[in-house]
Amino acid sequence: MMMEDASQNELMALLSAVARQDRKAFEQLYQQVASRMFGLCQKLAGQQELAEEALQDAFVRIWHHASEYHSDRGSPMSWMMTIARYRTLDLMRARKVRQTAGDEALNYAEDERAGPLETSMQMDGAAALTGCLDELSPVQRDSILLSYYRGLTHEELSTTLSTPIGTVKSWVRRGLQALKRCLER
Amino acid sequence: MKKTPERIESLSAEYVLGSLKGPARRRFERWMMESYRVRQEVWFWEEKLSGLSGVVPPQQPPASIWSAIEQRLWPESNVVQMPSRTSRPGWLWPSWGLVATAAALVMAVLLVQQPTAERFPMLSGAIVQQDSTDPLWLVSESGQENRLRLRPVGAAAAAPDKDYELWIVPEQGQPLSLGVIPVGDNTFQIELSDEVRAALDKSRTLAISLEPQGGSTTGAPTGPILHVTKLYEL
Repeated sequence: MMMEDASQNELMALLSAVARQDRKAFEQLYQQVASRMFGLCQKLAGQQELAEEALQDAFVRIWHHASEYHSDRGSPMSWMMTIARYRTLDLMRARKVRQTAGDEALNYAEDERAGPLETSMQMDGAAALTGCLDELSPVQRDSILLSYYRGLTHEELSTTLSTPIGTVKSWVRRGLQALKRCLER
Repeated sequence: MKKTPERIESLSAEYVLGSLKGPARRRFERWMMESYRVRQEVWFWEEKLSGLSGVVPPQQPPASIWSAIEQRLWPESNVVQMPSRTSRPGWLWPSWGLVATAAALVMAVLLVQQPTAERFPMLSGAIVQQDSTDPLWLVSESGQENRLRLRPVGAAAAAPDKDYELWIVPEQGQPLSLGVIPVGDNTFQIELSDEVRAALDKSRTLAISLEPQGGSTTGAPTGPILHVTKLYEL
């Protein structure tokens, strides 16, 4: 679903109000974006408890740092999603959550058979990104997507893809380079 | 370490992706504090990659999360609110009910959109020979079409009168044949019946055996199993 300009503008207005410590705006902001952020936290963490904690932390952070948002940092939505994602990754690493994208991740995936990637909900620029991902080699693309959606480290990628770590690292590095060239075109 | 443009570029991307971790991540965060150029590069990636998060379906967090956030940010005012909440027990619920309805609508829109929506492959994997880094075949699934795509990469032709045969290794029972697979340059598509697809969904395991030309005649692998691979979900 397209993140309409109107709703981005609305988020922008709410975020500005939050920067002025407007609690009501903060609650509205939460109601508008929490489910999107929580979906991403859950997908990454693969477990409810950690995702809930990350979501809480992310909103506490948004409250304290709303005034630091500016348009160079992307849309308000992408800024908030990034905060949620970093916090989830931090907690996963701190708790040493092992990601394999194998059986454990699959157990989690089963109850969302509708599929995390089956629905195409396009945000600004997502179509361009998807187009560019198609230009990567399949192993480069998969390595990047597994890191993004599952938070796999190089070591975990190496295990998941049964490939030496050096090779995996270069897939990621070269994939990102190619992605950048494409996105800049 | 010098902040060369190449290093800034590749470390920023890995920072945002999350694959930069531990001390290297903390070192890089120092770079970000020191340099606007580095921050700009990070913002570039944050914005671009966040496009990926748009395909993740929203999930309604439990109502307790909002109360917990309030409690953390304004512990003193919540002490005052606590009794008022018990006197107005329905206070939180109407708004959450509305949010839930909104979420249901979003899901409905997504479900309707689904048939035309472009999708990423769901299952993916590489068939890799032991002690080698280059994959022999790359496998990916496009779930909507019930198809498995197989792209030969580094696979060499089987012996003259032999063929490679692809199997699904189910959790229980005999392997299911997906037929003989080519080694040429072209991507090969295999149509999966619902039954075969269900078996693959469960076990996520494929195997390749070496068979007489044209494939096994017994319905089970007769030659050596050359490779076994587990597909992973994207």
